[in-house]
Amino acid sequence: MSFTRESAVARAKSDLAARLKVSEGDINEVSTSEKDFPDMSLGAPEKGEMSAQMISSGWQIRLGANGKNYEYRADKYQLRLHDFKGSNYVVES
Amino acid sequence: MNRNNIWIHIGIAVILVTLAAVIGQIDRWRSALKFDTVPAVRSTPMPKSVARTKEDSEPEVLVRFKPGVSLAEIKKITAMNNDVVEDEIESVKGLAAIDDLDNADPEAVAEQYREMSNVSYAEPNYEIKLDDPAETYSIQDGVHRVPSDASPDDPQFAQQWALNNLGQDGGKKGADINALEAWQETQGSDQVVVAVLDSGVDYTHTDLRSNMWLRPDNLPQYTDDELGTFNDENGFNGTDNAADPMDDNGHGTHCAGIIGAEGNNGEGIAGVNWNVRIMPLKFMGRGGFGTTKDAIEAINYAIDRKQHGVNVRVINASWGSTSRSKALEDAIRAAGEQGILFVAAAGNDGSNNDKRPHYPSNYDLPNVISVAALDRNDQLTSFSNWGPNTVHIAAPGKDILSTWLNDDYREASGTSMAAPHVAGVAALILAKEPNLSVEKLRDRLLKSVDPIDSLKGKIESGGRLDAAKALGN
Repeated sequence: MSFTRESAVARAKSDLAARLKVSEGDINEVSTSEKDFPDMSLGAPEKGEMSAQMISSGWQIRLGANGKNYEYRADKYQLRLHDFKGSNYVVES
Repeated sequence: MNRNNIWIHIGIAVILVTLAAVIGQIDRWRSALKFDTVPAVRSTPMPKSVARTKEDSEPEVLVRFKPGVSLAEIKKITAMNNDVVEDEIESVKGLAAIDDLDNADPEAVAEQYREMSNVSYAEPNYEIKLDDPAETYSIQDGVHRVPSDASPDDPQFAQQWALNNLGQDGGKKGADINALEAWQETQGSDQVVVAVLDSGVDYTHTDLRSNMWLRPDNLPQYTDDELGTFNDENGFNGTDNAADPMDDNGHGTHCAGIIGAEGNNGEGIAGVNWNVRIMPLKFMGRGGFGTTKDAIEAINYAIDRKQHGVNVRVINASWGSTSRSKALEDAIRAAGEQGILFVAAAGNDGSNNDKRPHYPSNYDLPNVISVAALDRNDQLTSFSNWGPNTVHIAAPGKDILSTWLNDDYREASGTSMAAPHVAGVAALILAKEPNLSVEKLRDRLLKSVDPIDSLKGKIESGGRLDAAKALGN
Protein backbone atom coordinates (compact mmCIF):
# COMPACT_ATOMS: atom_id res chain seq x y z
CA MET A 1 0.00 0.00 0.00
CA SER A 2 1.29 3.43 -0.90
CA PHE A 3 -0.63 6.51 0.20
CA THR A 4 -1.15 9.88 -1.39
CA ARG A 5 -2.56 12.73 0.64
CA GLU A 6 -6.00 12.14 -0.87
CA SER A 7 -6.01 8.39 -0.44
CA ALA A 8 -4.83 8.75 3.15
CA VAL A 9 -7.71 11.11 3.94
CA ALA A 10 -10.20 8.76 2.28
CA ARG A 11 -8.87 5.76 4.17
CA ALA A 12 -8.93 7.70 7.44
CA LYS A 13 -12.59 8.61 6.89
CA SER A 14 -13.58 5.02 6.24
CA ASP A 15 -11.65 3.87 9.32
CA LEU A 16 -13.25 6.45 11.57
CA ALA A 17 -16.72 5.67 10.22
CA ALA A 18 -16.21 2.03 11.07
CA ARG A 19 -14.95 2.80 14.57
CA LEU A 20 -17.77 5.20 15.36
CA LYS A 21 -20.36 3.09 13.53
CA VAL A 22 -21.54 6.05 11.48
CA SER A 23 -21.65 6.61 7.73
CA GLU A 24 -18.71 8.26 5.99
CA GLY A 25 -21.04 11.11 5.07
CA ASP A 26 -21.23 12.01 8.76
CA ILE A 27 -17.49 12.64 8.86
CA ASN A 28 -15.99 15.89 7.71
CA GLU A 29 -12.38 16.79 6.98
CA VAL A 30 -11.46 19.57 9.38
CA SER A 31 -7.94 20.05 8.05
CA THR A 32 -5.05 18.24 6.46
CA SER A 33 -1.57 19.64 6.59
CA GLU A 34 2.02 18.57 6.12
CA LYS A 35 3.92 18.14 9.33
CA ASP A 36 7.24 16.90 10.68
CA PHE A 37 6.80 14.13 13.21
CA PRO A 38 9.40 13.11 15.80
CA ASP A 39 9.93 9.57 14.55
CA MET A 40 8.91 7.03 11.97
CA SER A 41 5.83 6.00 13.91
CA LEU A 42 4.77 9.59 13.24
CA GLY A 43 4.68 10.22 16.97
CA ALA A 44 1.88 7.69 17.34
CA PRO A 45 3.43 4.36 18.32
CA GLU A 46 1.28 1.46 19.32
CA LYS A 47 2.10 0.07 22.74
CA GLY A 48 5.43 -1.74 22.62
CA GLU A 49 6.23 -0.62 19.11
CA MET A 50 9.76 0.61 18.43
CA SER A 51 10.36 3.23 15.80
CA ALA A 52 13.30 4.88 14.10
CA GLN A 53 14.15 8.18 15.82
CA MET A 54 14.42 10.27 12.69
CA ILE A 55 12.35 13.38 12.05
CA SER A 56 9.82 12.29 9.43
CA SER A 57 7.44 14.31 7.33
CA GLY A 58 3.86 13.29 6.72
CA TRP A 59 0.27 14.50 6.88
CA GLN A 60 -1.73 15.43 9.92
CA ILE A 61 -5.37 14.72 9.12
CA ARG A 62 -8.04 16.13 11.42
CA LEU A 63 -11.52 14.71 11.01
CA GLY A 64 -14.73 15.73 12.75
CA ALA A 65 -17.75 13.63 13.69
CA ASN A 66 -20.51 13.96 16.26
CA GLY A 67 -19.07 17.25 17.42
CA LYS A 68 -15.65 15.76 18.22
CA ASN A 69 -12.30 15.93 16.43
CA TYR A 70 -10.05 12.98 15.66
CA GLU A 71 -6.46 12.96 14.45
CA TYR A 72 -4.89 10.66 11.90
CA ARG A 73 -1.28 10.73 10.79
CA ALA A 74 -0.01 9.35 7.54
CA ASP A 75 2.93 9.16 5.20
CA LYS A 76 3.60 7.29 2.02
CA TYR A 77 3.67 3.93 3.79
CA GLN A 78 1.32 4.12 6.73
CA LEU A 79 -1.83 5.54 8.30
CA ARG A 80 -2.19 5.87 12.06
CA LEU A 81 -4.93 7.00 14.40
CA HIS A 82 -3.51 9.15 17.17
CA ASP A 83 -4.77 9.12 20.74
CA PHE A 84 -8.13 7.48 20.14
CA LYS A 85 -9.56 6.76 23.59
CA GLY A 86 -6.03 6.97 24.96
CA SER A 87 -4.33 4.67 22.44
CA ASN A 88 -2.62 4.88 19.08
CA TYR A 89 -3.47 2.51 16.25
CA VAL A 90 -1.79 1.46 13.02
CA VAL A 91 -4.69 1.55 10.57
CA GLU A 92 -2.65 0.40 7.61
CA SER A 93 0.99 -0.04 6.74
CA MET B 1 90.37 48.29 10.50
CA ASN B 2 93.10 45.91 11.64
CA ARG B 3 93.11 42.16 11.08
CA ASN B 4 92.07 41.38 14.67
CA ASN B 5 88.95 43.58 14.32
CA ILE B 6 88.02 41.83 11.05
CA TRP B 7 88.04 38.42 12.76
CA ILE B 8 86.03 39.84 15.65
CA HIS B 9 83.42 41.17 13.18
CA ILE B 10 83.33 37.91 11.26
CA GLY B 11 82.91 36.04 14.55
CA ILE B 12 80.01 38.27 15.59
CA ALA B 13 78.40 37.85 12.16
CA VAL B 14 78.63 34.05 12.42
CA ILE B 15 77.08 34.14 15.90
CA LEU B 16 74.24 36.38 14.72
CA VAL B 17 73.49 34.19 11.71
CA THR B 18 73.52 31.08 13.89
CA LEU B 19 71.29 32.76 16.45
CA ALA B 20 68.82 33.77 13.75
CA ALA B 21 68.73 30.22 12.44
CA VAL B 22 68.14 28.81 15.93
CA ILE B 23 65.35 31.32 16.60
CA GLY B 24 63.78 30.43 13.28
CA GLN B 25 63.91 26.74 14.10
CA ILE B 26 62.45 27.38 17.57
CA ASP B 27 59.62 29.28 15.93
CA ARG B 28 58.91 26.35 13.63
CA TRP B 29 59.02 23.98 16.60
CA ARG B 30 56.58 26.22 18.45
CA SER B 31 54.26 26.14 15.47
CA ALA B 32 54.48 22.39 15.32
CA LEU B 33 53.99 22.00 19.05
CA LYS B 34 50.87 24.14 18.96
CA PHE B 35 49.26 21.31 17.08
CA ASP B 36 49.32 19.17 20.17
CA THR B 37 49.00 21.68 22.92
CA VAL B 38 46.35 24.18 21.88
CA PRO B 39 43.06 22.36 22.20
CA ALA B 40 40.93 25.27 21.09
CA VAL B 41 42.38 25.33 17.60
CA ARG B 42 40.58 23.19 15.09
CA SER B 43 41.90 20.64 12.71
CA THR B 44 42.25 21.23 9.05
CA PRO B 45 39.47 22.10 6.70
CA MET B 46 39.09 19.86 3.71
CA PRO B 47 40.48 20.56 1.27
CA LYS B 48 43.44 22.23 2.88
CA SER B 49 43.41 25.93 2.45
CA VAL B 50 45.09 29.15 3.41
CA ALA B 51 43.80 32.70 3.33
CA ARG B 52 44.72 34.64 0.25
CA THR B 53 47.05 37.57 0.51
CA LYS B 54 46.01 41.07 -0.41
CA GLU B 55 48.31 41.00 -3.39
CA ASP B 56 46.18 38.38 -5.07
CA SER B 57 43.74 39.52 -7.69
CA GLU B 58 41.21 36.96 -6.52
CA PRO B 59 38.16 38.13 -4.54
CA GLU B 60 38.65 38.25 -0.79
CA VAL B 61 35.37 36.92 0.47
CA LEU B 62 32.62 34.52 -0.50
CA VAL B 63 29.23 35.68 0.69
CA ARG B 64 25.95 33.83 0.46
CA PHE B 65 22.96 36.10 0.61
CA LYS B 66 19.59 34.91 1.82
CA PRO B 67 16.92 33.88 -0.69
CA GLY B 68 15.17 36.83 -2.25
CA VAL B 69 18.18 39.14 -2.38
CA SER B 70 18.68 39.94 -6.06
CA LEU B 71 21.99 40.38 -7.82
CA ALA B 72 21.18 44.06 -8.28
CA GLU B 73 20.66 44.42 -4.53
CA ILE B 74 23.88 42.52 -3.84
CA LYS B 75 25.78 44.89 -6.12
CA LYS B 76 24.22 47.85 -4.35
CA ILE B 77 25.25 46.50 -0.94
CA THR B 78 28.79 45.79 -2.04
CA ALA B 79 29.16 49.21 -3.69
CA MET B 80 28.16 50.89 -0.43
CA ASN B 81 31.08 49.08 1.20
CA ASN B 82 33.49 50.00 -1.58
CA ASP B 83 33.48 46.37 -2.68
CA VAL B 84 32.72 44.85 -6.02
CA VAL B 85 30.99 41.61 -7.01
CA GLU B 86 33.60 39.76 -8.96
CA ASP B 87 31.49 36.71 -9.71
CA GLU B 88 28.07 35.32 -8.97
CA ILE B 89 28.31 31.60 -8.32
CA GLU B 90 25.38 30.33 -10.38
CA SER B 91 25.29 26.82 -8.98
CA VAL B 92 24.71 28.10 -5.45
CA LYS B 93 21.86 30.57 -5.32
CA GLY B 94 22.80 33.82 -3.61
CA LEU B 95 26.52 33.10 -3.45
CA ALA B 96 28.87 35.82 -4.65
CA ALA B 97 32.63 36.24 -4.78
CA ILE B 98 33.36 39.76 -3.58
CA ASP B 99 36.51 41.83 -3.95
CA ASP B 100 37.25 44.46 -1.35
CA LEU B 101 38.75 47.52 -3.04
CA ASP B 102 40.15 48.78 0.28
CA ASN B 103 42.26 45.63 0.60
CA ALA B 104 41.10 45.14 4.16
CA ASP B 105 41.76 41.92 6.04
CA PRO B 106 39.57 39.18 4.45
CA GLU B 107 38.35 37.91 7.81
CA ALA B 108 37.32 41.43 8.81
CA VAL B 109 35.47 41.86 5.54
CA ALA B 110 33.73 38.52 6.02
CA GLU B 111 32.75 39.51 9.55
CA GLN B 112 31.30 42.74 8.22
CA TYR B 113 29.05 40.77 5.87
CA ARG B 114 28.10 38.21 8.52
CA GLU B 115 26.58 41.01 10.56
CA MET B 116 24.16 41.88 7.78
CA SER B 117 20.66 40.50 8.28
CA ASN B 118 20.31 39.45 4.65
CA VAL B 119 23.48 37.33 4.64
CA SER B 120 23.44 33.60 5.36
CA TYR B 121 27.19 33.29 5.71
CA ALA B 122 30.44 34.92 4.67
CA GLU B 123 33.92 33.55 4.67
CA PRO B 124 37.36 34.51 3.42
CA ASN B 125 38.13 33.20 -0.01
CA TYR B 126 40.54 30.38 0.63
CA GLU B 127 43.12 29.27 -1.81
CA ILE B 128 42.86 25.57 -2.49
CA LYS B 129 46.12 23.78 -1.93
CA LEU B 130 45.82 20.22 -3.01
CA ASP B 131 49.14 18.91 -1.91
CA ASP B 132 51.09 20.67 0.77
CA PRO B 133 51.77 18.11 3.46
CA ALA B 134 54.71 20.08 4.84
CA GLU B 135 52.59 22.97 6.01
CA THR B 136 51.10 22.28 9.39
CA TYR B 137 50.06 25.61 10.77
CA SER B 138 49.05 28.96 9.38
CA ILE B 139 49.00 32.05 11.54
CA GLN B 140 46.81 33.70 8.93
CA ASP B 141 43.80 31.46 9.38
CA GLY B 142 44.63 29.83 12.69
CA VAL B 143 43.95 26.44 11.25
CA HIS B 144 46.07 23.37 11.81
CA ARG B 145 46.62 21.02 8.98
CA VAL B 146 46.96 17.30 9.14
CA PRO B 147 48.98 15.17 6.79
CA SER B 148 47.29 14.68 3.46
CA ASP B 149 46.62 11.00 4.14
CA ALA B 150 44.18 11.94 6.92
CA SER B 151 41.99 14.12 4.70
CA PRO B 152 39.52 12.12 2.65
CA ASP B 153 38.92 12.85 -1.01
CA ASP B 154 35.19 12.06 -0.78
CA PRO B 155 33.53 14.80 -2.83
CA GLN B 156 30.72 15.58 -0.38
CA PHE B 157 32.97 15.67 2.65
CA ALA B 158 32.73 19.46 2.80
CA GLN B 159 29.04 19.08 3.70
CA GLN B 160 29.78 16.77 6.62
CA TRP B 161 29.83 19.45 9.29
CA ALA B 162 29.60 16.81 11.99
CA LEU B 163 33.08 15.57 11.08
CA ASN B 164 34.70 18.89 10.22
CA ASN B 165 32.74 22.03 10.97
CA LEU B 166 34.24 25.06 9.25
CA GLY B 167 31.23 27.21 10.00
CA GLN B 168 29.53 26.23 6.77
CA ASP B 169 25.83 27.06 6.39
CA GLY B 170 25.76 29.25 9.47
CA GLY B 171 27.37 26.69 11.77
CA LYS B 172 29.93 27.21 14.48
CA LYS B 173 33.48 26.51 13.49
CA GLY B 174 34.81 23.57 15.47
CA ALA B 175 31.39 22.26 16.53
CA ASP B 176 32.23 18.77 15.30
CA ILE B 177 33.56 15.47 16.59
CA ASN B 178 37.14 16.34 15.64
CA ALA B 179 37.38 13.57 13.08
CA LEU B 180 40.36 14.85 11.12
CA GLU B 181 42.60 14.79 14.14
CA ALA B 182 41.29 11.36 15.12
CA TRP B 183 42.04 9.97 11.66
CA GLN B 184 45.69 10.76 12.17
CA GLU B 185 45.59 8.07 14.81
CA THR B 186 43.38 5.52 13.07
CA GLN B 187 40.85 5.40 10.29
CA GLY B 188 39.26 2.21 11.54
CA SER B 189 39.78 -1.49 11.10
CA ASP B 190 38.11 -4.29 9.20
CA GLN B 191 38.57 -6.38 12.34
CA VAL B 192 35.88 -4.41 14.18
CA VAL B 193 32.24 -5.32 13.50
CA VAL B 194 29.48 -2.81 14.24
CA ALA B 195 25.95 -4.17 14.09
CA VAL B 196 23.31 -1.77 12.81
CA LEU B 197 20.05 -2.89 14.43
CA ASP B 198 17.62 -1.08 12.22
CA SER B 199 15.61 -1.25 8.98
CA GLY B 200 18.42 -3.19 7.29
CA VAL B 201 21.25 -1.75 5.25
CA ASP B 202 21.57 -1.34 1.50
CA TYR B 203 24.69 -3.46 1.37
CA THR B 204 25.04 -2.82 -2.36
CA HIS B 205 25.51 0.94 -1.92
CA THR B 206 28.72 2.02 -3.65
CA ASP B 207 29.92 3.86 -0.57
CA LEU B 208 29.16 0.99 1.80
CA ARG B 209 29.71 -2.32 0.08
CA SER B 210 33.45 -2.51 0.81
CA ASN B 211 32.75 -2.09 4.50
CA MET B 212 29.90 -4.59 4.82
CA TRP B 213 30.28 -7.66 6.94
CA LEU B 214 29.97 -10.97 5.13
CA ARG B 215 29.64 -14.27 6.91
CA PRO B 216 32.99 -16.02 6.59
CA ASP B 217 32.96 -19.28 4.67
CA ASN B 218 34.08 -21.19 7.74
CA LEU B 219 31.26 -19.87 9.91
CA PRO B 220 28.15 -22.07 9.91
CA GLN B 221 24.80 -20.57 8.99
CA TYR B 222 22.77 -19.22 11.87
CA THR B 223 20.31 -21.72 13.29
CA ASP B 224 17.48 -20.83 15.62
CA ASP B 225 15.72 -23.67 17.36
CA GLU B 226 12.28 -22.41 16.42
CA LEU B 227 12.92 -20.39 13.30
CA GLY B 228 15.25 -22.82 11.60
CA THR B 229 18.42 -22.17 9.63
CA PHE B 230 19.10 -18.80 8.04
CA ASN B 231 21.24 -17.96 5.08
CA ASP B 232 22.84 -15.08 6.94
CA GLU B 233 25.46 -14.28 4.35
CA ASN B 234 24.78 -10.53 4.64
CA GLY B 235 23.40 -10.33 8.16
CA PHE B 236 20.06 -10.99 9.82
CA ASN B 237 16.46 -10.15 9.08
CA GLY B 238 14.04 -10.61 11.95
CA THR B 239 11.00 -9.10 10.25
CA ASP B 240 9.98 -12.05 8.16
CA ASN B 241 12.82 -14.48 8.65
CA ALA B 242 13.63 -14.14 4.98
CA ALA B 243 17.29 -13.76 5.88
CA ASP B 244 17.98 -10.88 3.52
CA PRO B 245 18.68 -7.73 5.56
CA MET B 246 18.32 -5.38 2.59
CA ASP B 247 16.98 -2.00 3.66
CA ASP B 248 13.60 -0.99 2.22
CA ASN B 249 13.27 2.18 4.27
CA GLY B 250 16.57 4.07 4.12
CA HIS B 251 17.03 4.79 7.81
CA GLY B 252 19.39 1.90 8.49
CA THR B 253 21.45 2.75 5.42
CA HIS B 254 21.76 6.31 6.68
CA CYS B 255 22.99 5.16 10.09
CA ALA B 256 25.42 2.72 8.46
CA GLY B 257 26.93 5.50 6.34
CA ILE B 258 27.58 7.66 9.39
CA ILE B 259 29.39 4.78 11.06
CA GLY B 260 31.31 3.51 8.09
CA ALA B 261 30.83 4.89 4.61
CA GLU B 262 34.08 4.06 2.90
CA GLY B 263 36.47 6.96 3.32
CA ASN B 264 38.90 8.40 0.82
CA ASN B 265 37.41 6.42 -2.07
CA GLY B 266 36.56 9.45 -4.19
CA GLU B 267 32.88 8.66 -3.68
CA GLY B 268 30.14 10.47 -1.76
CA ILE B 269 30.93 10.87 1.89
CA ALA B 270 33.30 9.58 4.56
CA GLY B 271 32.11 7.58 7.54
CA VAL B 272 33.50 8.07 11.03
CA ASN B 273 35.36 4.89 10.14
CA TRP B 274 36.88 4.72 6.68
CA ASN B 275 37.31 1.05 7.24
CA VAL B 276 35.07 -1.14 9.41
CA ARG B 277 32.67 -4.04 9.06
CA ILE B 278 28.97 -3.27 9.27
CA MET B 279 26.61 -6.09 10.13
CA PRO B 280 22.97 -5.37 9.22
CA LEU B 281 20.41 -6.57 11.77
CA LYS B 282 17.03 -5.83 10.27
CA PHE B 283 14.04 -5.68 12.60
CA MET B 284 12.12 -2.68 11.25
CA GLY B 285 10.24 -2.79 7.99
CA ARG B 286 9.53 -0.36 5.20
CA GLY B 287 7.70 2.06 7.50
CA GLY B 288 10.60 2.38 9.94
CA PHE B 289 9.01 0.64 12.92
CA GLY B 290 9.21 -2.81 14.37
CA THR B 291 8.45 -5.03 17.29
CA THR B 292 10.34 -5.63 20.49
CA LYS B 293 10.43 -9.30 19.70
CA ASP B 294 12.13 -8.85 16.37
CA ALA B 295 14.67 -6.54 17.99
CA ILE B 296 15.41 -9.17 20.59
CA GLU B 297 15.82 -11.86 17.96
CA ALA B 298 18.28 -9.71 16.11
CA ILE B 299 20.27 -9.05 19.29
CA ASN B 300 20.30 -12.77 19.94
CA TYR B 301 21.71 -13.27 16.47
CA ALA B 302 24.54 -10.82 17.15
CA ILE B 303 25.35 -12.58 20.41
CA ASP B 304 25.37 -15.94 18.65
CA ARG B 305 27.75 -14.69 15.99
CA LYS B 306 29.97 -13.19 18.68
CA GLN B 307 30.09 -16.55 20.40
CA HIS B 308 31.10 -18.07 17.08
CA GLY B 309 34.09 -15.77 16.77
CA VAL B 310 32.73 -12.73 14.90
CA ASN B 311 34.14 -9.62 16.57
CA VAL B 312 30.84 -7.79 17.11
CA ARG B 313 31.72 -5.08 19.62
CA VAL B 314 29.07 -2.41 19.05
CA ILE B 315 25.35 -2.39 18.32
CA ASN B 316 23.81 0.85 17.11
CA ALA B 317 20.16 1.34 18.08
CA SER B 318 18.70 4.46 16.49
CA TRP B 319 15.14 3.72 17.59
CA GLY B 320 12.97 3.42 20.65
CA SER B 321 9.70 4.02 22.42
CA THR B 322 8.34 4.82 25.84
CA SER B 323 7.38 1.19 26.42
CA ARG B 324 9.63 -0.72 28.78
CA SER B 325 10.41 -4.34 28.00
CA LYS B 326 12.19 -6.49 30.52
CA ALA B 327 12.96 -8.99 27.79
CA LEU B 328 14.64 -6.38 25.65
CA GLU B 329 16.56 -5.15 28.67
CA ASP B 330 17.76 -8.67 29.34
CA ALA B 331 18.82 -9.17 25.73
CA ILE B 332 20.86 -5.97 25.86
CA ARG B 333 22.39 -7.03 29.16
CA ALA B 334 23.34 -10.37 27.58
CA ALA B 335 25.02 -8.49 24.75
CA GLY B 336 26.99 -6.53 27.31
CA GLU B 337 28.15 -9.73 28.93
CA GLN B 338 29.60 -10.64 25.55
CA GLY B 339 31.52 -7.37 25.41
CA ILE B 340 29.10 -5.56 23.12
CA LEU B 341 28.44 -1.86 23.61
CA PHE B 342 24.83 -0.80 22.96
CA VAL B 343 24.54 2.75 21.66
CA ALA B 344 20.98 4.07 21.76
CA ALA B 345 19.20 7.17 20.52
CA ALA B 346 17.78 9.23 23.39
CA GLY B 347 14.55 9.97 21.50
CA ASN B 348 13.00 12.90 19.70
CA ASP B 349 10.24 14.18 21.96
CA GLY B 350 12.19 17.13 23.34
CA SER B 351 11.52 15.80 26.82
CA ASN B 352 13.41 14.86 29.97
CA ASN B 353 14.16 11.14 30.00
CA ASP B 354 14.74 11.29 33.76
CA LYS B 355 11.03 11.92 34.14
CA ARG B 356 9.57 10.34 31.01
CA PRO B 357 11.79 7.35 30.18
CA HIS B 358 12.62 6.36 26.65
CA TYR B 359 13.76 2.82 25.86
CA PRO B 360 16.13 1.18 25.17
CA SER B 361 18.24 4.28 25.90
CA ASN B 362 17.01 4.41 29.50
CA TYR B 363 17.99 0.88 30.50
CA ASP B 364 20.43 1.33 33.34
CA LEU B 365 23.00 -1.15 32.08
CA PRO B 366 26.79 -0.91 32.02
CA ASN B 367 26.90 -1.35 28.24
CA VAL B 368 24.22 1.21 27.29
CA ILE B 369 25.00 4.74 26.14
CA SER B 370 22.14 7.15 25.55
CA VAL B 371 22.84 9.83 22.94
CA ALA B 372 21.29 13.29 22.50
CA ALA B 373 21.43 15.33 19.30
CA LEU B 374 23.28 18.59 18.68
CA ASP B 375 22.96 21.02 15.83
CA ARG B 376 25.82 22.61 13.87
CA ASN B 377 26.13 25.31 16.51
CA ASP B 378 26.75 22.92 19.40
CA GLN B 379 23.25 23.48 20.69
CA LEU B 380 20.94 20.73 21.84
CA THR B 381 18.32 20.40 19.11
CA SER B 382 14.76 21.32 19.96
CA PHE B 383 13.61 17.77 19.32
CA SER B 384 16.30 15.95 21.31
CA ASN B 385 15.46 14.27 24.57
CA TRP B 386 17.79 15.02 27.45
CA GLY B 387 18.26 14.01 31.08
CA PRO B 388 21.08 14.69 33.53
CA ASN B 389 20.91 11.14 34.88
CA THR B 390 19.76 9.12 31.88
CA VAL B 391 21.18 10.74 28.75
CA HIS B 392 24.92 10.33 28.72
CA ILE B 393 26.50 12.12 25.78
CA ALA B 394 25.61 14.44 22.90
CA ALA B 395 26.64 14.14 19.26
CA PRO B 396 25.74 15.79 15.94
CA GLY B 397 22.21 14.90 14.91
CA LYS B 398 20.74 17.60 12.69
CA ASP B 399 21.11 17.98 8.93
CA ILE B 400 23.41 14.99 8.74
CA LEU B 401 24.38 13.89 5.26
CA SER B 402 24.72 10.15 4.76
CA THR B 403 24.01 7.25 2.46
CA TRP B 404 20.47 6.40 1.33
CA LEU B 405 18.77 3.79 -0.82
CA ASN B 406 19.56 3.43 -4.54
CA ASP B 407 23.11 4.73 -4.25
CA ASP B 408 21.76 8.05 -3.07
CA TYR B 409 22.67 10.45 -0.24
CA ARG B 410 20.34 12.41 1.98
CA GLU B 411 20.35 14.79 4.92
CA ALA B 412 18.36 13.65 7.93
CA SER B 413 17.83 14.77 11.51
CA GLY B 414 17.17 12.99 14.78
CA THR B 415 18.84 11.33 17.70
CA SER B 416 18.90 8.47 15.20
CA MET B 417 21.73 10.34 13.49
CA ALA B 418 23.54 11.21 16.74
CA ALA B 419 23.84 7.63 18.01
CA PRO B 420 25.86 6.30 15.03
CA HIS B 421 28.47 9.00 15.52
CA VAL B 422 29.06 7.56 18.99
CA ALA B 423 28.96 3.99 17.69
CA GLY B 424 31.44 4.99 15.02
CA VAL B 425 33.89 6.51 17.48
CA ALA B 426 33.57 3.42 19.67
CA ALA B 427 34.68 1.39 16.65
CA LEU B 428 37.62 3.74 16.07
CA ILE B 429 38.74 3.23 19.66
CA LEU B 430 38.47 -0.53 19.24
CA ALA B 431 40.53 -0.37 16.06
CA LYS B 432 43.33 1.06 18.15
CA GLU B 433 42.66 -0.89 21.35
CA PRO B 434 40.90 -4.10 20.33
CA ASN B 435 40.95 -5.67 23.78
CA LEU B 436 39.32 -2.79 25.62
CA SER B 437 36.47 -4.02 27.83
CA VAL B 438 32.98 -2.72 27.19
CA GLU B 439 32.99 -0.88 30.52
CA LYS B 440 36.27 0.87 29.72
CA LEU B 441 35.10 1.64 26.21
CA ARG B 442 31.96 3.31 27.54
CA ASP B 443 33.97 5.13 30.17
CA ARG B 444 36.42 6.40 27.56
CA LEU B 445 33.66 7.81 25.38
CA LEU B 446 32.02 9.64 28.25
CA LYS B 447 35.18 11.00 29.85
CA SER B 448 36.66 12.37 26.64
CA VAL B 449 33.83 14.72 25.70
CA ASP B 450 34.27 18.35 24.80
CA PRO B 451 32.46 20.18 27.62
CA ILE B 452 29.66 22.45 26.47
CA ASP B 453 28.23 24.91 28.97
CA SER B 454 24.67 24.60 27.74
CA LEU B 455 24.73 20.83 28.28
CA LYS B 456 25.65 21.06 31.95
CA GLY B 457 22.74 19.79 34.00
CA LYS B 458 21.10 18.37 30.88
CA ILE B 459 23.42 15.58 29.80
CA GLU B 460 25.33 13.37 32.22
CA SER B 461 28.77 13.96 30.70
CA GLY B 462 27.96 17.60 29.93
CA GLY B 463 29.64 17.44 26.57
CA ARG B 464 29.93 16.54 22.93
CA LEU B 465 31.56 13.43 21.53
CA ASP B 466 35.23 14.03 20.64
CA ALA B 467 36.84 11.33 18.52
CA ALA B 468 40.36 12.67 18.84
CA LYS B 469 40.26 12.88 22.62
CA ALA B 470 38.66 9.46 22.80
CA LEU B 471 41.70 8.12 20.97
CA GLY B 472 44.00 9.80 23.46
CA ASN B 473 45.03 12.79 21.38
